[in-house]
Amino acid sequence: MLILQLLVSGIEAGALYALTAAGFALIFGATRIFHFAHGATYALAGYAFVLATRLGWAWPAGVGLALVVAIAFGLLLEAAVYRPIQRHHGAFFTVFVAAFGVVIVVQSLIELSFGRAFIAISSPLTRAHEVLPGLYIARVFWLALATAGVVFAVLGAFLARTRAGIGLRALAENPDLLRAFGLSSRRLSALAFALGSALAVPGAVLGAMTTGLSPGVGAHVMLISLAASVMGGIGSLRGAALAGLLLGIVENLVVAGLDTQWSEAAGFVALFAFILFRPRGIFGAALVR
Amino acid sequence: MTAYLLNLAQLAAIFGLLSVSLNILIGYGGIFSVAHAVFFGLGAYAGAHVALDLFPDLLLAALASALIAGLLSAALALPALRVRGEYFVIASLGLQMLATTVFTEAQAITGGLGGLVGIPPPTLFGFTLADPLVFLFCCLAFLALALALVRQLMRGSFGRALMALRDSEMAAEALGKNVALIKTLAVVLGTAFAGIAGALFAFQEEFVNVESFTLDQSVLILAMVIIGGAGTLSGPLIGTLLLLLLPAALTFIPFIPPTDIGAVQQLIYGFAMTLLMIFRPAGLAGRAMGRR
Amino acid sequence: MSALLSARGLTRHFGGINAVEAVDLDLAPGIITALVGPNGAGKTTLFNLITGHLAADAGVVELFGQKITGHAPHRIARMGLARSFQDLRLFARMSVRDNVLAATEPVSWFWQPGGVRAARERAARGAQALERTGLAPLARAEAADLAYAERKFLSLARILASGARIWLLDEPASGLDPASRARFTALLRAAVADGVTICLIEHNLDIVIELADRIVFLDQGRKLAEGAPESVLGDPRLAAIYFGERA
Ligand SMILES: Nc1ncnc2c1ncn2[C@@H]1O[C@H](COP(=O)(O)OP(=O)(O)O)[C@@H](O)[C@H]1O
Ligand SMILES: [Mg+2]
Repeated sequence: MLILQLLVSGIEAGALYALTAAGFALIFGATRIFHFAHGATYALAGYAFVLATRLGWAWPAGVGLALVVAIAFGLLLEAAVYRPIQRHHGAFFTVFVAAFGVVIVVQSLIELSFGRAFIAISSPLTRAHEVLPGLYIARVFWLALATAGVVFAVLGAFLARTRAGIGLRALAENPDLLRAFGLSSRRLSALAFALGSALAVPGAVLGAMTTGLSPGVGAHVMLISLAASVMGGIGSLRGAALAGLLLGIVENLVVAGLDTQWSEAAGFVALFAFILFRPRGIFGAALVR
Repeated sequence: MTAYLLNLAQLAAIFGLLSVSLNILIGYGGIFSVAHAVFFGLGAYAGAHVALDLFPDLLLAALASALIAGLLSAALALPALRVRGEYFVIASLGLQMLATTVFTEAQAITGGLGGLVGIPPPTLFGFTLADPLVFLFCCLAFLALALALVRQLMRGSFGRALMALRDSEMAAEALGKNVALIKTLAVVLGTAFAGIAGALFAFQEEFVNVESFTLDQSVLILAMVIIGGAGTLSGPLIGTLLLLLLPAALTFIPFIPPTDIGAVQQLIYGFAMTLLMIFRPAGLAGRAMGRR
Repeated sequence: MSALLSARGLTRHFGGINAVEAVDLDLAPGIITALVGPNGAGKTTLFNLITGHLAADAGVVELFGQKITGHAPHRIARMGLARSFQDLRLFARMSVRDNVLAATEPVSWFWQPGGVRAARERAARGAQALERTGLAPLARAEAADLAYAERKFLSLARILASGARIWLLDEPASGLDPASRARFTALLRAAVADGVTICLIEHNLDIVIELADRIVFLDQGRKLAEGAPESVLGDPRLAAIYFGERA
C-alpha cells in the first residue's frame, strides 16, 4: 500500500508540476527566452494566496489575487527586463543572470515580509480519507487532477482553435512565419508571458495547502520547470507536461527506498541522465547551435 | 576591531580567489556554472580531512583540495560539456542541489549538518601559522598566484582559444580548436582554485559545514564575478570587495534589524545583477554598452 | 586531376525539408568553384556537412584522399580545411590580432609546441594575414568595433592565417562596396596563385563570372547542374529558377 500511497502523492505533485512546467515551455516556445524567474512567479502567486487567506478573503478571491499577481509579474519581467536585454545583444547568459537577480530579489522580499519559516494554509481539502485499507486520499488530490485536466483541455483548445493560439504555435515553430500571419510578435510574446505565468498559479495555490511554501520555493520550482522542459524536449508543451508529471511521481516513489532528503535529488539524477543520453528530450527536436 | 578587520581581509582574499577562479569559467570560457560552491565545499572538506586526519600542512591541504575538486569536476564536466550552454547551466544547477543533499547526508565524510569541527591552525614547513596576519598573507599569496596565472594564460594561446570558443564555438572548431578539451581544462583549472579556496576557508573558520556550500553561496560568487565584470582581471576582485563589504556596511544602518541583514543584502545584489544586465552587462570593470 | 575534396551522395533532412539531397561535389586543386542557387537551396548546409558541423544522413566525404565522414570539426579543420560563416562568427570580444593569432594555433594546451621559434613564425603568419587583408592598422581594435567590410575581411584573415589549403567561403562578398569587392577578388586570386583551392557561395553573378572556374548549381537540396560558368549561367532553365525564386 505504501507504494500506492506514494504514487497518489506523486501524481498529485506531478499534475501541478506539469502545469508549471508547461507554463515555462509555453514561454520558451513562443519567445525563445529561458524564463528562469518562472519559479519566482510561482512563489509570488503562492504568497499572494497566503496573504489573501490571512486577510480573511474567500478562496476564489485568493485565487484571483494570485492570478493577478502572477500575470502582472510575468508581464512586468517581459517588458522591463527581457525585452530591453534582447534589444541589445541579449546573450543567453545575460538573460539568465538578470532573471536570477529577480529570483533573488523576490526571495529576499518574501523573506522580509513573511519570514523564513515554512507556511502552509490549512484547509479541509487536505484532510485525507481512507479509500482503501491503508490508502488515504485527500480531496485536494482530485482537485489537482481536475484542475490539470481542465486547464490542459482549455489550453489545448486555445492553441488549436484561436487565432492568437495558432499564432503562438507558429511563433514556436518559425518566427518568420508570423510576419506573413500579420500578428505582432510583441503582443504574442506578452500573451505567452501572461498565459505561462497564469499556469504557475494552480501549483502555487494548491502547493500552499499541501507541501507548504518557503521563500526558497522559487528555486525549487525553477529547477523542476527546467528539468521537465529538458526532459520533455525544450519548447515542447506536451513533453514538459508529461515530464513534470513523471518528475512528481519519481520524487515521491524514491521515498519508498530512501530518505525524503533524496526525493529532490532523484529528479536531478533523471535530469542528468536525459542531458547526457537524450538531450533532445522525450518529444523535442534536437536544438541546433 | 583588528581581529574583525583581519577576519574580513582573510575572507576577502578567500572569496577573491573563488571569484577569480569562477571568472576563468564564466568570463573567459563562457561556461556558466552555478555550482562553484560545490567545488569550494569539496576543497573545504578535503582540506579539513587532511588537517584532521593527517597533519595540518597548508600546502598539502591545498594540493589535496585542488586535486579532488579538479578531478571530480573533470569527471562531471566531460559529459556535461558536450551539450549546449543552456543545458550546462541547468545541469550545474542540478548538481548544486544534488551536492547539497550529498553534503548533508554523507555524514561519515562531511559530518552532515554538524560539519567538521576543531580544525587545527595550519602549519607551513613545520611552523604553525597561529598569527592571523601571517595566515592572511598566505591567502593573499594564493590569490596573487591565481591572478598571475590567469593573466599569463589569457595572454597566451590557451587564453585565446578559450575566449575564442566563448565568442563562437563553431568558429573555434572550424579553426581546429578541440572545444571539449579546452573547456574541460578551463573547468579543471577553475575548480582546482576553488578547491584551494575551500581549504583556506576550512583553516580560516576552523569549522566547515554544508551551509557554506549551498546554492546561495554559488549565487553569491556568481554575483561577485558578474557585478565586478566577467572576463576582466580586476572585475572579480571589485565584485568581491563590494559584496563582502555590503553586509558590513548594512550593520551600520540603524533601522535594519540584524536578522534581516542577510535578506537585505540579497535584495541589493539581486537588484544589482538585474539592473547591470539591463544597463551594463559587462559589469563595473567591463566596458560600457554605448561603445559597442 | 584528382579532387582534393570529394563528397558523394551527401544527404541531410530537417524534419520534412530535404535540405541537401544526394549531392556530389568535387573540388579540383587550385581552382575556384562557385556554389550558386536561390536562398534555402542548401548551400550552407552542404558546407556544414563537409566540415563536420552537421552529421549527414547519408553520404561520404573524402579530404586529401582520406575519408572524413563523421570526424569532429576540429579534426577536419586541422587537416587543412578552413571555412567562413555567412554570419561571420568573429571572436567579437577579442582584438583583431588575437582573432588572427587564434587561427594560427589549432592545438591549444596550456602551451604551444615548437617553443619561441614556432611562436615567432605564427606571429609572422598572423601579421602577414592582417597586412594582406588591410587590417594591420586595426590590429588592436576589438572585433566587435569593426565596420562591416572590415569584419568580412577579418573573417578572411583568420582563414588566411590558418594556413589551410582548402577554403570554403559562405557569401564572403555579400554587401561589400565596389572598392572592397575589388580588394576581395584580388585577395582570392592571390590565394589561388599560392595554391589554395576555394569553394565559395556567392549570389552576385558578376563576381561569380569574374572569379569562378567552375559552377555548381544547387536548388532545393539537389545539384541541378555543374560545369563551366558560361554553360551553367547560359542555361535559361537555371536562370529561371535562380531569378524566379529570388524575385
Ligand atoms: N539547423 C536547421 N534546422 C532546420 N532546418 C534547417 C537548418 N539549417 C537549414 N535548414 C533548412 O534547410 C534548407 C537549406 O538551408 P541553407 O543550407 O541555409 O540554405 P542556403 O545556404 O542555400 O540559403 C532551408 O530550408 C533551411 O530552412
Ligand atoms: Mg546560406
